[in-house]
Amino acid sequence: MGAEQAWLLAAIPAGVFFVLALFGRYLPRGGDYLGVAAIGASFVLFFFVAADFLSFYDFEAHKTFITESISWSEIGNFKLRQGIHVDAITIVMFAVITTVSLMVNIFSVGYMKGEPRYYWFFAVLQLFVASMLLLVMADNLLLVYISWELVGVCSFLLIGFYWEKRSATEAAKKAFITTRIGDVGLLIGIILLWKETGTFDIQQIIHAAEAGEIGQTYLFVSIMFVFLGCMGKSAQFPFHVWLPDAMEGPTPVSALIHAATMVVAGVYLTARLLPIFEAADGALLVVTIVGLTTALLASLIAFAQTDIKRVLAYSTVGKLGLMFVALGAGSPAAGLFLLMTHAFVKALLFLGSGSVILGTHHNQEMDKLGGLWKKMPITGTTFFVATLALAGLPPLAMFWSEDELFASVNHEWGLWALVLAMLAVFATAIFMVRLFIRTFAGEPRDRQVHEHARETPLVMTGPLVFLCVLAVVSGLFVFNGVGSALGFPGGIGEFVFLEEPERYAIDWTLAGISLAVAVAGVLIGAYVYWGNSLVRSTRLAEAMPRLYAALRNKFYIDEMYQYVIDRGVLGVSYVVSWFDRYVVNDTGVDGSAQVTGYSGSILKYLQTGRVPNYAMAITLGVVGLTVAGLLVRA
Amino acid sequence: MTFDEGQGYAVLATLAAPLLAALILVFIPGTQKMAVRYVAAFFGAVMLGLSIYVFVAYQVDGEQIQMSLKWVWVENTAFLGKDGIVLNLAVDGISAPMALLTGVVAFAGTITSWKINYRNKDFFILYFILLAGVYGTFFSFDLFFWFFFYELAVMPLYLLIGVWGSTRKEYGAMKLTLMLVGGSVLIWIGIFAVFNEANLGTFDMQRLFAAGNDGTLSPTFQKVFFPMFVVGCGVLAALWPFHTWSPDGHMSAPTAVSMVHAGVLMKLGAFGIIRLGIQMLPVGAEFWMPGLMVLGVTGAVYGATAALTQRDFKLISGYSSVSHMGYVLMGLATMNQIGITGAVLQMFSHGVMTALVFLMIGALYDQAHTRDMKDFGGIAKVMPMWVVFYAIAGLANVGLPGLSGFTAEFHIFVGTFQTYPVFGALAIFAAALAATYMLRMFSMVFFGPFNPRWKDLKDLTPLEAMAGALLIASIVVMGVWWAPFTDRIGTTVAALPGVVG
Repeated sequence: MGAEQAWLLAAIPAGVFFVLALFGRYLPRGGDYLGVAAIGASFVLFFFVAADFLSFYDFEAHKTFITESISWSEIGNFKLRQGIHVDAITIVMFAVITTVSLMVNIFSVGYMKGEPRYYWFFAVLQLFVASMLLLVMADNLLLVYISWELVGVCSFLLIGFYWEKRSATEAAKKAFITTRIGDVGLLIGIILLWKETGTFDIQQIIHAAEAGEIGQTYLFVSIMFVFLGCMGKSAQFPFHVWLPDAMEGPTPVSALIHAATMVVAGVYLTARLLPIFEAADGALLVVTIVGLTTALLASLIAFAQTDIKRVLAYSTVGKLGLMFVALGAGSPAAGLFLLMTHAFVKALLFLGSGSVILGTHHNQEMDKLGGLWKKMPITGTTFFVATLALAGLPPLAMFWSEDELFASVNHEWGLWALVLAMLAVFATAIFMVRLFIRTFAGEPRDRQVHEHARETPLVMTGPLVFLCVLAVVSGLFVFNGVGSALGFPGGIGEFVFLEEPERYAIDWTLAGISLAVAVAGVLIGAYVYWGNSLVRSTRLAEAMPRLYAALRNKFYIDEMYQYVIDRGVLGVSYVVSWFDRYVVNDTGVDGSAQVTGYSGSILKYLQTGRVPNYAMAITLGVVGLTVAGLLVRA
Repeated sequence: MTFDEGQGYAVLATLAAPLLAALILVFIPGTQKMAVRYVAAFFGAVMLGLSIYVFVAYQVDGEQIQMSLKWVWVENTAFLGKDGIVLNLAVDGISAPMALLTGVVAFAGTITSWKINYRNKDFFILYFILLAGVYGTFFSFDLFFWFFFYELAVMPLYLLIGVWGSTRKEYGAMKLTLMLVGGSVLIWIGIFAVFNEANLGTFDMQRLFAAGNDGTLSPTFQKVFFPMFVVGCGVLAALWPFHTWSPDGHMSAPTAVSMVHAGVLMKLGAFGIIRLGIQMLPVGAEFWMPGLMVLGVTGAVYGATAALTQRDFKLISGYSSVSHMGYVLMGLATMNQIGITGAVLQMFSHGVMTALVFLMIGALYDQAHTRDMKDFGGIAKVMPMWVVFYAIAGLANVGLPGLSGFTAEFHIFVGTFQTYPVFGALAIFAAALAATYMLRMFSMVFFGPFNPRWKDLKDLTPLEAMAGALLIASIVVMGVWWAPFTDRIGTTVAALPGVVG
């Protein structure tokens, strides 16, 4: 099988979706094995695709790609084609999506056991993964938009999986509508780019943009519209509000959304279209600023959250921000590398927290946890590794990707951006340590919860261990040696790049600072929360009550939006409805009917039915008309 | 009578099937309710089969107008020439998908009406007469018959709503009929004016189209009479601000009538704008289209905004119809090939998805006897299939890719951006509003804590499920593989006067 058949990766899970959705309820075990098998098949096929791709990848010329498309419809000159495009970016995304999805699928077999609508969960999971795989191999923006929306609707279904709960339904709605507002921008952007180039084909549009065939302002405006969609999907400020709420879905879904599907879609699309951002003056700066703002904001908010999944959610928002910072620095390698390492680490963290939730019989408030390491050794250990990895300690994966990030930020924007990015990393280290200590270390805060806690079965710990290994080693893809051994010499920096391939070389000063920042964060976190004691942190919170309240309430951004929706949008709707009812209908339509009826009720008195009256009227009429005629003639 | 390679019979048969059904029903005693149902279902199936045949048999690479059949009706009288009034039936690339739409919705509506018990014979007679009118309008290339069938389609509505309806049915029926008849008056005047001005002694629309193109119908004349046709037909297409019959009419109408009405009848209005407006008065069209664009955008945004805070299912659908028909008018007003093709796609798409929505609303209302969304909650527990079907219709409404709504809206947006980028952006924004009102309804009705008051609700009956499945199949086919539609529509649209590529 060659890379031309990469569409099979999406087609297999998509097919299984239909099987499970229609017949899943009649299958033993809800057909979960079909789901695992489908994504397992995609996972295996990925290696064939990657091997085939690397076998003819031209490491001298670079930028090799495969593209296959067929005609879809034709209206005069408006010809639509659908097809796939496989290049280095696609391969990296395939690796992330298939690996994480497979782990999540296996984990779900244990986690979702006994849930109602078990088959439906697996069905939608397949469609979710299939849409995401389709998204990363689409060769044109129309197909990107199609799969983009499918990803959105699947996330809606999965976040709202426990639809009996009002909060889950609301979270699903919020996720869909928030991202949909961004998608308005995306669709406008896509059509604007089409208008100027006459095509939806990504490579042709990039080519036109690079060749300067599109006016600067026009290009900037249209790519910013596209970026709105990316911001919505990737939960960037001010669209970030949906992601923390999205944890209402089953925990494996959170792992999938945060790591491999959904939120990375925006990062992917920005990376894919990065040459256009580059060609439009100022676009990269906007990307950087949005990323930095989001990263700092989210890292701050995460400090004051007590729900494990909510803390993790804000850490995702922050790391996504950093991915955009990397892209804003013009380095798709750093962005995708960060995406990949983060995906493994964050999937591990979410699945780990799922393991905690199941192991403690549905408890996810840190205030009731603590001291779980001994009770749940595998979960505890893997979670520990993931915490340190997310904090950015070497030699774990995210140290290397963040090092890449710092290097490119320093190179592109200089000190100010570097400092801000490091600040976000620093904050992450602190609150991740807080999360770990309060969940796994120290004295249990709730004896009863602790008593009944137990390690989860192999079907759940297995994926944890596998992802833990990746969280340790996936950072090494940056090195030439590792890359050569795997078939892409030069490491990821020479595999994915914007203009020139860059071989990774450690900048010892930068690496030293980055290490110092991470260590400092970990130590401060450990100092403040040591032994799961709240004494120091409470003192801190009391010292700055207003700041603490603001963080705790997520800077009141959700409340602000709610106010605008209630008073603004719904208010307008009430006005329009009122206008429609009373002005257009009751006055315009019914009013004219009433006028007709009323004039009829008056005029009917002329119809007396008495001949003399009519004779009189005729006579008067004749006389009147004669007089009038004479007058006119005179 | 002249036929075109025999296929003219297919068109005649499609038109004759509902008339024959009505005729046969007249002779079945009203007490034989089951017999009435079987006859109706049989003819519904026949109509569906014939409609599919007409759609498939339309040759994409052939002539624009195919399967024609001419049957001279009145000739050589005082004011009419050699071929004065002719039953002139044919199909072009626009009426082919419209015929398919009619067949699909008619069949779904027929089997949905299975459960009607009160005077079901009379119901079906009127229902089939209405459908004959619809087919006739889509197939007629004679102005006289066009109007004849147009009125035949509109008139039965009054009785269908007034007798079998609910919720202020007399008001709804009266308002709807009066407004539509008001529109018809404008069309009727316009038709006589055109006949007079062209002075060809014929109602043959193809000759009148030619007259509109070659200047026989003077530019001034066209500019004066174009608005009459647009407003006259536009009433039926829920043209803002002549749309208020739509929410109230739908609220009152029985399920199958809502389905056929929103599904097919509203399309007659848009179809009329194409036939009488764009094709017959191209100069007028070119002059007035920016105005229609403004009204279309207004309808699209206005309908979506008003739908945001409604509490009655049918009002949501009524306003969302205003919004979606606004898209149709926008597509027509672009006067380019992509936009008008998109408009016709949207006519089909809106037809099938709205029929599905009304089918679902009916399935719930017949049991619950309320349509106030606030009364519901967690209905997915008792009616899972109903929820899935409704959700698919709702998502098509929202413009989710893979379903018909996206295909249509995408073409309209692209077409609109070619000439009016700002209006295009507004229309895309209205689609986001659609997501908001739809999901609001989903979360209020389908999801959330289950309200035990509804524990006895039954899921869809097999017949309803069958009707729904047929509509969903149409939605999905158009959403995924739209080439069969765009091939037919696109070439015909390209040949419309004044349309740019």
